[in-house]
Amino acid sequence: MITRREAIKWGVVVPAIAASSQAAFARAPQGLDAFLLDTRYVENLPAEHAAITAIRFAGDVTRPWFDTLDHAWRRRGYVLGGITGSDALFVLEVLAQQHGRRVVSQQQLGEKNERGVYPVSWVIAPVHPSVTA
Amino acid sequence: MSVLPPDIDSASFAAFLEELRGAVGADWVWSGDADMFPYRDSFSPVWNTAEERHASAAVAPEDVEQVSAVVKIARKHRVPLYPISTGKNFGYGGPSPNVNGSVVLDLKRMNRVIEVNTDRNYCLVEPGVSYFDLQRAVDATGNKVMLDCPDPGWGSPIGNSLERGVGYTMPHFRDHFGAHCGMEVVLPDGEIMRTGMGALPGSETWQEYPYGFGPDPAGLFAQGNFGVVTKMGFRLMPMPEYYRTGLITVPRRRDFIKLVNHVNFLSDSGLIGEVEYGSPLSALMGNPDFFVLATKTGGPSDAEMDAAASAAGLPSFQVELQFFGPQKATLENWNYAKDRILSDIPGAAAVDGDHFTLPASEDQLNNTTQPWQTSIKRRRSLGVPSLGAWKIVRDDGHVGFFPVLPRTGEAVFEVQRVLGDAMKEFPTLPPFFNALTMPLFWHTHTFQMVFAPSIKHDDPQHNAITHASMKKCVAVAAEHGWGDYRAAPIYQDDVSNTYSFNNHILRRFHEQLKDAIDPDGIIAPGRGGIWPRRFRA
Ligand SMILES: Cc1cc2nc3c(=O)[nH]c(=O)nc-3n(C[C@H](O)[C@H](O)[C@H](O)COP(=O)(O)OP(=O)(O)OC[C@H]3O[C@@H](n4cnc5c(N)ncnc54)[C@H](O)[C@@H]3O)c2cc1C
Repeated sequence: MITRREAIKWGVVVPAIAASSQAAFARAPQGLDAFLLDTRYVENLPAEHAAITAIRFAGDVTRPWFDTLDHAWRRRGYVLGGITGSDALFVLEVLAQQHGRRVVSQQQLGEKNERGVYPVSWVIAPVHPSVTA
Repeated sequence: MSVLPPDIDSASFAAFLEELRGAVGADWVWSGDADMFPYRDSFSPVWNTAEERHASAAVAPEDVEQVSAVVKIARKHRVPLYPISTGKNFGYGGPSPNVNGSVVLDLKRMNRVIEVNTDRNYCLVEPGVSYFDLQRAVDATGNKVMLDCPDPGWGSPIGNSLERGVGYTMPHFRDHFGAHCGMEVVLPDGEIMRTGMGALPGSETWQEYPYGFGPDPAGLFAQGNFGVVTKMGFRLMPMPEYYRTGLITVPRRRDFIKLVNHVNFLSDSGLIGEVEYGSPLSALMGNPDFFVLATKTGGPSDAEMDAAASAAGLPSFQVELQFFGPQKATLENWNYAKDRILSDIPGAAAVDGDHFTLPASEDQLNNTTQPWQTSIKRRRSLGVPSLGAWKIVRDDGHVGFFPVLPRTGEAVFEVQRVLGDAMKEFPTLPPFFNALTMPLFWHTHTFQMVFAPSIKHDDPQHNAITHASMKKCVAVAAEHGWGDYRAAPIYQDDVSNTYSFNNHILRRFHEQLKDAIDPDGIIAPGRGGIWPRRFRA
């Protein structure tokens, strides 16, 4: 149900947050409600940029989910960007789908490790009419 | 990949979808590749092959009346429905159906916690309630009860228990179907039925006495296809005052047999929670000589393993015990367990572990202070829902075969040897069964062992090995009387075939029931290996 316009819009966001450097983070555009930063791949970034909160976690999505996303995804809107491991993205993607949201853009940032996990940047946006803003 | 339900053309399918939209609202019916992607089994070993099972559409009703309406529409059009609660059944088929073209009946919108009763210690929930949702409701009671949840907390008490899933606290809560009490079901004709005391109008004991009067059909709805469950009650453990852990090690390989018998006694007496068996010798698996020994065809001898253990200065096996209850009782039970085992097994040793008041703090949940290298995952042991289990997933996922075997050390050694030898046909797989493979004490009164080969979306050859090894494991295990407890749709016929006593009378009985109440296969045809007449023909 994602429109072409939305796909293009979020497609632009991803390259901007693709690199795991402070500069890339600082360049992240408006429009995101929060960043999820997986400290296995991203370090030394400020807690907030352009009034967008950065939520940190170390691969285990439990706390971001229970404390923040489970509440936020019950309401309309809320576009989430992230730089995480692909394992964490899988978990988030499945949860997002159940809540009318989808990974609208993603970009692999590095090689797979021995478990098949790689760093990835992405945007999850609401797509179902019950949660679109 | 768009598919149609069986025996229907696209015009009739479109008319069917339109009727569904009329029943639940246009926003709650999905079809087409992009919308159906989430309903694929992303852990499937037959990913992107002709064997993969695809749903044609999905529908999400809001309440039991809408479920009944959807079932009636499906019955009219003879379209199979595949009910899911939260659809997180990864490793066992995910949300994907048995029959291509089935319509997923996604119950995610029915997510009300109807009751948490902390005086009589039960809850009543709808299918879309996740363990996280239930935890929030329990938090709101001041944490007076403790959940028992599977490793990942995003699944649902109803979906998990209907798969006969498991948790990790005290024995009679770990078997999630066994811990249920009372259910509401929409039958294949759309009628709404309640089991047990729920059948007696005005009764207030639906979640206390499961049987009511007469035969209890509740068991038919677990791993079955006789209805859509829309409410279920579960027993909850009152929050114990205290939690305590202890480690017992035994020096020789044969000591494991006695150790298991003692742990059985402690568990069946209600003195301990879930246990983690392990072998300190696992630390030697990186040593090529030891690896060859532990994976030797026909299995190593006890003497060879004992020699390796004593050369390394390590005990052969260990068990981590967990105690719940009043503080003094946990200490007495631990002392009793130590005395009992150490006085019977020469050279056995005991180590006192962490102990603290419940509920646990965040630090205690992180489990970093045990005086030994622990395998206990503290969150799941204390019924705290989590998503941390994801770190055990390799590649793009896995499929699981967990055979049920007798609760004896001898049986464990035999499974190690028999399945270890059988799996040598697949040398690229990790040695799931070797001389150190330990049993899982999940279900209340039995052992299981784990075989969970991985899958890779971009490697069909890797997946083909996984698929072939799963089939072989099911077959070889059955030859020895060990049966799978739960299986993905692509393996359900294989597993059902192994439960063949008296010319498959169990399956034939289920088929007779299915033919009587659902001959067209409106509810999950093929689930549990049960096919209605229409699909057998
Ligand atoms: C890393 C990892 C660890 C895991 N650990 C555990 C574990 O510790 N314990 C465990 O048990 N499992 C475990 N699993 C397997 C699985 O994730 C859980 O069992 C999960 O709870 C099942 O998904 P669900 O609750 O969403 O059920 P669903 O997917 O909703 O349901 C499972 C099946 O039950 C049937 N069903 C569901 N709802 C209904 C209904 N209302 N009416 C009729 N039929 C219905 C359907 O056939 C459905 O496919 C694990 C998986 C992984 C990947």
